[in-house]
Amino acid sequence: MSLQIIINGLALGSVYAIIATGFSLIFNILKFSNFSHGALMTLSAFIGYFFAVTVNSSLLLVVAISMLAGGLVSCLGELVAFRKITLSNTSPIYFFVSSITLGTLYEGIVTIWVGPNFYNYPRFFETTVVKLGSIVISKSDLIMFVSSCAALALLMLFIQKTKFGRALRSVSFDRETAGLMGIDVIRIIQLAFFLSGALAGLAGVFLGINYTLYPQLGNLVVKGFIASVIGGLGSVFGAVAGALLLGLTETLLINFAGSGYAPVFSFLIMLVFLLIRPQGIAGSNVQEKA
Amino acid sequence: MEFYLSVMTFTLISVIAVTGVYVLTGLTGMFSLGQAAFMAIGAYISGVLVVKVGLPFALAAIIAIALSVLVGYIVGLPTVRLRRDYISLVTLGFGEAITALLNQMQSITGGALGFSGIPQKTTFTLAVASAAVCIALVAYFKASKYGRQCIAAKSDELAAKAMGIDVARIKMIAFLFSVAVTAYAGVLYAFYTTYVDPGIFGWKKSAEWVIMVFFGGVNSLTGSIIGTAILTALPEMLRFAAEYRTVFYSILVLLIINFKPAGLFGEYELSLKSLGIGREKKNAA
Repeated sequence: MSLQIIINGLALGSVYAIIATGFSLIFNILKFSNFSHGALMTLSAFIGYFFAVTVNSSLLLVVAISMLAGGLVSCLGELVAFRKITLSNTSPIYFFVSSITLGTLYEGIVTIWVGPNFYNYPRFFETTVVKLGSIVISKSDLIMFVSSCAALALLMLFIQKTKFGRALRSVSFDRETAGLMGIDVIRIIQLAFFLSGALAGLAGVFLGINYTLYPQLGNLVVKGFIASVIGGLGSVFGAVAGALLLGLTETLLINFAGSGYAPVFSFLIMLVFLLIRPQGIAGSNVQEKA
Repeated sequence: MEFYLSVMTFTLISVIAVTGVYVLTGLTGMFSLGQAAFMAIGAYISGVLVVKVGLPFALAAIIAIALSVLVGYIVGLPTVRLRRDYISLVTLGFGEAITALLNQMQSITGGALGFSGIPQKTTFTLAVASAAVCIALVAYFKASKYGRQCIAAKSDELAAKAMGIDVARIKMIAFLFSVAVTAYAGVLYAFYTTYVDPGIFGWKKSAEWVIMVFFGGVNSLTGSIIGTAILTALPEMLRFAAEYRTVFYSILVLLIINFKPAGLFGEYELSLKSLGIGREKKNAA
């Protein structure tokens, strides 16, 4: 029984990790909390859904389309909502409002497009569970966990080993100096937005499969935010650790008290964490930079 | 006439809520995405106290505001010392938690079906008077020592600290003040519509208020109020569909942020002086 909870918790945590990582990428590079991330998840999940319905495609293709759509929309969003603020170097407050507004815009577009209804992805597999002895793992959980791990591993490899990854890290560290060193800062920011959007697409599809697809699906982004607060804002590693921890604790608590209270638990977990260790697991920037 | 009166009452209630948001966002530079949850707390507590306990309206309102401030203190305690992103992330989680609680505690709140049977106590006159008092309080707060400390902390926290301002304390004061004002707006709302349900107090509502503040001008109380009045009343009058309204809002605000970041009113504040009457004329004479 307890092993079952751990497995379910890890599967849930892996989706939270994808959300939290996408959020952290932007936080790292532009130092603001991107509140449009949730609505972007919904938007790209819906694009994937309508693709799946019209073309009758496999899950892999749907994921790919959603990720691509998420990435492209994210880049477009950067151009419309953040480019001018980045260039003019005004107060980070404006990033904030821009991202909230952009999120509202995405959600409004989705609501107009699909209406307030609930949608279900077509069934992608014949059997829905895998049995390992007494443990039952739902196939979607398994695929969710495996592909989240794969996506995160690829991302880490990209950030740590490639030329673009190095540029990304240096722009995150100090945008101006990186620019002076000949890095095309705007292009790197766009790259970060593309990656973050692609992760939003991935998370959106899995959340849509796990729950149902509806215009407010993006509200689940709160879990990702909470995970990155627990992990330490802006740290990709912390985000993953925080997400797994949140997924496990939440599954455990839900097991005792019912799923309706899940948001209350995650909020309390976050509050306790902030009181005990405000810098998060990874321990990064908690104070306002001068 | 009835319809216009109701639109105006709703607009006034929104104005009250937004003056609270203005203290937090405009003056202190913090964003609360759980502000609507405080409105929900004010609405539900006062409603339950009147309907189920039988307290008089005024007493219930005072208790509701006090309890909201207490809850706000608990939420604010771990966050005011940290960078400003935390308060928005924490309040976002808080808002979701409150919505879930309201949905779950069916025996008290009526769950997702909502809580009804609240007597209608909010009149147009009460709304006007309340809005006037709240605006006056916030204007006074802005001009006071605290308001100036807020503005200093917003512009540069480190410099404000160096000048001897207790930044964590001033952030907390601003947060609690805004919570109290918003909770009061919740009380008025509940006793006007006579019915509340958890769905209307999500983070979207909080985000909408932030957007209204920025539409009018983040540094101007006058701008925030007029911005709210325009963005609340106009779509109601024109009978826009709600979905189109949010899209319309968002595009408008994106344009403003891109091309006129200070908002419609910039730093302008309406006062007797700026209208060219009152003191200046006396001086001239």
